[in-house]
Order: sequence, then C-alpha cells, then structure tokens
Amino acid sequence: MTQREDGFGFAPDEDVPIPYLQRIRDYYQALGYGAPYRWAHYAEVPFQALAKPLAESRVALVTTAAPYQPDKGDQGPGASYNAAAKFFRVYSGDSASDPDLRISHIAYDRAHTSAEDSGSWFPLAQLRRAAAIGRIGEIAPRFHGMPTNRSHRVTLEQDCPELLARCREDRVEAAVLVAV
Amino acid sequence: MCHQTVSLAARHLEANGIPTVIMGCARDIVEHVGVPRLLFSDFPLGNPAGRPHDRESQAFTLDLALRVLEGAPAPRTTVQSPLRWSADPAWKLDYSNIARLSPEEIARRRAEFDRQKEIAKTGRQP
Repeated sequence: MTQREDGFGFAPDEDVPIPYLQRIRDYYQALGYGAPYRWAHYAEVPFQALAKPLAESRVALVTTAAPYQPDKGDQGPGASYNAAAKFFRVYSGDSASDPDLRISHIAYDRAHTSAEDSGSWFPLAQLRRAAAIGRIGEIAPRFHGMPTNRSHRVTLEQDCPELLARCREDRVEAAVLVAV
Repeated sequence: MCHQTVSLAARHLEANGIPTVIMGCARDIVEHVGVPRLLFSDFPLGNPAGRPHDRESQAFTLDLALRVLEGAPAPRTTVQSPLRWSADPAWKLDYSNIARLSPEEIARRRAEFDRQKEIAKTGRQP
C-alpha cells in the first residue's frame, strides 16, 4: 500500500469475511481427498414476509448444537473435534428449560474461541429477554436441533420436513436459525 | 456443514410459509446456498450470537437479527453486524488455512480426520 492510499484509512486487504468455500476446498485437497464437496446451491430463494408484527409473533429457535451425552467423551467447552457427539435425528427441547448443549461435534474456530459461553451460539436467554420486553410475541414452546449431515438427501428429505412438522405443531410464526 | 444445514432448513421453512432469519459467521456458505435473510457476524466460527461472556454484544446481535427478520425487503438480504471481533484481523488467516500448516501437521490432521470419520460412521448405525 502506498503512503497516499494509507492516508485514506483503507482496511488491510485480508480484512474480509473468511472465504470458507475456498479454504475448505483447498484444505481437503491438500489432505489428499479427491473430488471437492459439492455444496448446496440455488438460484431461486423463497421469501415469506411476517404475517403480523414480530411483537405478536411466536418465534422458534433452531440450533445445530447437540445435547450433552455423558457417555460420548469430551464435549468441552474447548474439547477437540468429537464426531461421537454428533446426532442424526431432529430433536426438540423445552424452551422454558436451560438445556445443556455442546458444540464439540462442530468444526468451530478452536484457535480463536472456546465455546465456553453458550450465549455466543445459542441465544435462548436473549430471546427470553426479547419476549419479556415485548419485542417478540412469545417464544415457541420448543426449540429444535438440526443434525449437520454431509448428505443433502438426508437433510432435505428427512430433517427439513421433520423440522417443519414440529414448527407447525407448535404454530410457529417465525424462526431464528443459528449456525454454529 | 452447520451453515449449509441451517440454510437448507431456513429455505424449507420459508417455502412453507414460516419467515426465517439465520445468524451465522460463514457468509459465503450461506449466500452460496441462497437464503431469505442472514445476519452475518464477522467473528470466528462458533460465535453467531455475539461475543462470549458479553451480554451486551449478545443482546445487540439478537436484536439486529430480529430487525433483519422484520425489515428485509427481499430474499438474499444479508446484514453484516458492525461488531468487530478484534481490531487486528489476523485471526482470519488461521482457520483451515493450508498455507499455514507444515507437512507434518497436514499428515497428522489427515489421520485424525479419518479416525473421526470412522467414529461418525459407527454413531450412525442404529
């Protein structure tokens, strides 16, 4: 960067959102795995406006975090990647409870974060606050956990319809989905 | 995988009449899938709902997500949170960055990856 450009206050070129698709492709290729993973990709995107104000709407929380399973090894906080802690079916929990959820089955950034505070990846407490101050109508009675599966078929044909059915059962009017 | 899963779920709910907002830290994956609404936090993976041990950051992040949920004018609306993880963006160079790994480390990770894949396979059996 020249001194003149520096004077404009530009950010460093690498200060952009991490290009994960490229990083992950390069990473697994260097590890010796063949054809790159084909990520889901659509040209068309559905859109549904809120039917009524958020302050009157029932909002569901959806997470990819896993319920703690004492028999499945170290699940942290700060545990190394633990595939045994994965789950393979949509699950639901009581939104009025304080569930013990963990993210050791997920490739989060272990170098720069510790997973100590579930509030940074499971915003149930903040959603309760939003309900208490009338920002949303109410929290749906159950939150839902989505399995993170490499198989598009399983996610699209098994897990997504199951999630929808549970949301409908709870008469959910909007959903906040949190990707760990 | 998380960001892809949640993106597919949001699309499915939305197509069936339930408005959604995603909170996530991997902008390119979510946008590649194509979703109605994304609140993107430019934070290390694992912090889509705000900074750890920082209630104010978490409250701000959820509130922003709710504003995206009610205010997005069209699908593929991404709002980037103004919160910064660190004044120094060097953390962004580390995640799965093959250019930063030694051949020994690459070999070690490959062995570990194979091991975890076997464990996941076992877990999937009924």
